Amino acid sequence: MAKAVNTLAALSQQLRTGSVSSRELTEDSLLRIARLNPALNAVITSCEDRALAAAAQADKALASGDVSPLLGIPMLHKDIFCTRDVRTTCASKMLAEFIPPYSATVVNRLETAGMISLGKCNMDEFAMGSSNETSFFGAARNPWDTARVPGGSSGGSAAAVAAGFATLATGTDTGGSIRQPAALCGITGLKPSYGRVSRYGMIAFASSMDQAGPMARTAEDCALVLSAMAGSDALDSTCSDQPVPNYAETLEQSISGLRIGVPKEFFSHHLDAAVADAIDRAIKELEQAGATIVDVSLPSTDLGVSTYYVIAPAEASANLSRYDGVRYGYRCENPADLEDLYTRSRSEGFGPEVKRRILVGTFTLSAASYDQYFMKAQQVRRVIANEYDTVLDNVDVIAGPSAPNTAFVLNDQSKSITDMYMEDVFTIGANLAGLPAISVPAGLVNGLPVGMQLIGRRFDEARLLNVAHQYQKRTDWHTLSPDLGGLV
Amino acid sequence: MTHAAAVKEVAVLARLSISDEDIETATTEFNQTLALFDALSSVDTTQVTPMVNPLDAVQRLRIDSVETLVDREGLMRNAPAQDQHYFLVPRVLD
Repeated sequence: MAKAVNTLAALSQQLRTGSVSSRELTEDSLLRIARLNPALNAVITSCEDRALAAAAQADKALASGDVSPLLGIPMLHKDIFCTRDVRTTCASKMLAEFIPPYSATVVNRLETAGMISLGKCNMDEFAMGSSNETSFFGAARNPWDTARVPGGSSGGSAAAVAAGFATLATGTDTGGSIRQPAALCGITGLKPSYGRVSRYGMIAFASSMDQAGPMARTAEDCALVLSAMAGSDALDSTCSDQPVPNYAETLEQSISGLRIGVPKEFFSHHLDAAVADAIDRAIKELEQAGATIVDVSLPSTDLGVSTYYVIAPAEASANLSRYDGVRYGYRCENPADLEDLYTRSRSEGFGPEVKRRILVGTFTLSAASYDQYFMKAQQVRRVIANEYDTVLDNVDVIAGPSAPNTAFVLNDQSKSITDMYMEDVFTIGANLAGLPAISVPAGLVNGLPVGMQLIGRRFDEARLLNVAHQYQKRTDWHTLSPDLGGLV
Repeated sequence: MTHAAAVKEVAVLARLSISDEDIETATTEFNQTLALFDALSSVDTTQVTPMVNPLDAVQRLRIDSVETLVDREGLMRNAPAQDQHYFLVPRVLD
């Protein structure tokens, strides 16, 4: 274990004082990726020439006095975000050769802010998975132990930041896909409120829950990036037009007197005992910082998994019907007729987990099952969201674990499909209710990172980031890095 | 309990094929997932309005003005088969 590489905020300072150039940072990152990625498989596509050209532009802007906080900082995108003229695969054979003719709003905004895109990160295929093992390009590895998963679906992004490829990677979170890998890789990951960040150009999985967010070393870094990512977008009608605060401005507020709710259901039989101890200690740290800890209850926590695994596959089955081998994406060889073209292109182009979810989603949306499953799940979704709202009427923030365990071993045959779905038991609620949530490093168990999750009120990302930052000022878990000496 | 024949029928609707070799595993996994949903029936949801969108948002409309967002060449570049800006598919009419 070693002390961490720089944070984004520190690099930003160094760039503005001229002690380092964007070109130097970009070259360092590219070199690190070239050396370590063969062992980690965190990056699917590298964009060296484009990155170096963008770094040269950034250095010119810096020399002319531009002090934008993100200018010249290298970063990576999850390969779910469309990047104009750069291959965007969603880690699927279906899109293995897809070159988008436009970029996602998130990509455009971060580029406009001056960030340097180094390439695209591995992920679970179409963001469906909690281990990165469903990727068509093979699983990314956890830098803390390469025999273990980095989590998912934004596993490549989490592994890349943990391994110091860059100080920032974008992720997306539909049921925990930013927070769980952030927890398992020992970094900080924020899922904003539904509608806080535009979904334009982000390949759709479950449209009523998908949300993009930053994955970085610290809450401070997440705050700097969210300020640039968030805000209304005419190209996404589900994106909120609520004003975007400067999240960095409220980080230093005291959390004395803040009420933090701890749901007893988050400390159930699903939770590993050693992880529970680490989270207990983290919550005590918040108490010592002046927060008032309140016992609360979210009785439908376990039901979240059932609800989510009806709604997400149903929305996915509709969203993924666009992949038919006609306009873009994989097409089978020598189709006999149009039906054969559709069926074989989809059957050969999608991996097993994606097909499982499409099947379930098609079933729950069929006329005979709609009321029993889909309608019922949407009603239970309301019950769950109401429970969160009631709790958040009485507390400012909810605290608990991000994941039930530390990183598990790759190809764990003892884990059934539904065991894997339970990985999301503590994260799913925030997606169903549309709430913002963040995972922060909160300890090590047997040398593997543990993440504490904080959940806030809708559009109150500022408070979450404030609490997370104050926690990180009192602890040093976020400064730890895995020892990667053996990988080179 | 959903039987293999029913799972195959769902696959047809989803335009996916499941081989005879794989149908047993696919049916087992399908039923494992459906078993996870049984818990939902324990919740009393009478009078509960389904939640379609977490913000209960309604569709926002924009001004109906013509904009060019994506160039045609860029779109056609990804077509598996094309001719003169038309997507080609197997013959559908004799």
